[in-house]
Amino acid sequence: VPVQYIVLKRSPLIPEMATQEVQLNETLAHLKTESETLKTKLEEERAKLHDVELHQVAEKVEALGQFVMKTRRTLKGHGNKVLCMDWCKDKRRIVSSSQDGKVIVWDAFTTNKEHAVTMPCTWVMACAYAPSGCAVACGGLDNKCSVYPLSLDKNENLAAKKKSVAMHTNYLSACSFTNSDMQILTSSGDGTCALWDVESGQLLQSFHGHAADVLCLDLAPSETGNTFVSGGCDKKANVWDMRSGQCIQSFETHESDINSVRYYPSGDAFASGSDDATCRLYDLRADREVAIYSKESIIFGVSSVDFSLSGRLLFGGYNDYTINVWDVLKGTRVSILFGHENRVSTLRVSPDGTAFCTGSWDHTLRIWA
Amino acid sequence: MSSKAPSANNLNQARQTVQQLRLEARIERIKISQASADIVKYCNQHQKSDPLIMGIPASENPFKEKKPCTVL
Repeated sequence: VPVQYIVLKRSPLIPEMATQEVQLNETLAHLKTESETLKTKLEEERAKLHDVELHQVAEKVEALGQFVMKTRRTLKGHGNKVLCMDWCKDKRRIVSSSQDGKVIVWDAFTTNKEHAVTMPCTWVMACAYAPSGCAVACGGLDNKCSVYPLSLDKNENLAAKKKSVAMHTNYLSACSFTNSDMQILTSSGDGTCALWDVESGQLLQSFHGHAADVLCLDLAPSETGNTFVSGGCDKKANVWDMRSGQCIQSFETHESDINSVRYYPSGDAFASGSDDATCRLYDLRADREVAIYSKESIIFGVSSVDFSLSGRLLFGGYNDYTINVWDVLKGTRVSILFGHENRVSTLRVSPDGTAFCTGSWDHTLRIWA
Repeated sequence: MSSKAPSANNLNQARQTVQQLRLEARIERIKISQASADIVKYCNQHQKSDPLIMGIPASENPFKEKKPCTVL
């Protein structure tokens, strides 16, 4: 705000000897007023478009039938809480990471362990499979994201070929390769997200805007362009332009930490799961929340969410050890799944939508279909 | 240093917040009725090929086989 503006606004009774302090105070106050005005305007604009609810538009849609989903495989081998997992594009391999510092690659069809790496830190909170299937990325309390090429030779020590890619100033909460093995997107307890070149370890872009730890991220489906969504302890979900580093949209309706975000398959919306025990759906073109998935009886936080292939079902892994399955259109719960003996910490649907995998604090992973 | 004086940091943060809000206020939005209709349409178009909704026979789903095979 230019100094002249303040001079014009000043009452003639105030002495000409304006101090630096008075100028700064007036500038800050002016900015805060403008901030409040803009926030109110945003709310008004969003409210104008609130002509109907999603479940009302979906009234005529045929109701879903009964679901029979069971645990088809149990993957045992981690010595402590499973914190994260990801599917390989081949729809059968899975990488998982644990509080015990181990990262394991499994063949989910046979339950065989194909690779295992011991990280130099405990609490490996993030792991991801490379699109080629030839490498995995992981990190956690070491504040880094490292890439391990997967060797065909089972006897080879994977740790020897480890490549350190990302460096944050606090824990790594999530990581994801972009559409190639060459770039990785990370989120961190340091409040930022970042895009890295895997080969050189160079920081390509950083994303600032969250006011607290960023806990999760998800890349938009490749057809919809270069954006991603992140969720954090500031209760905000932010949508970012990967090229410019700009936050293009921000949503703040959750009442607690957002632990998981996932794009709807069309790329026009995304779902979130939070410690406030709700999942929510945000439409990007309407620029607002369009559905809440909650029940009075559900009081424990949601750790992870993912959509079925068509986007009609939303799976949520909860801290009360269950999985709740929601009808995305009608807003109702269609199924509740039991099996894990502790918190469900991570959940992903397989690339071809035939099954989904959950990881839990009970040290196991389960494949459901 | 006076405790009442706002730091340059506070000022920068306030400026950034205002700039961000100005950006967000400018974006074009559509009505929920239209946004919802598109979400419903997408589901309807893809539901018949959604294995977790339609269910696929055990013979075609490797996870539903009764005996997991072990690679020796």
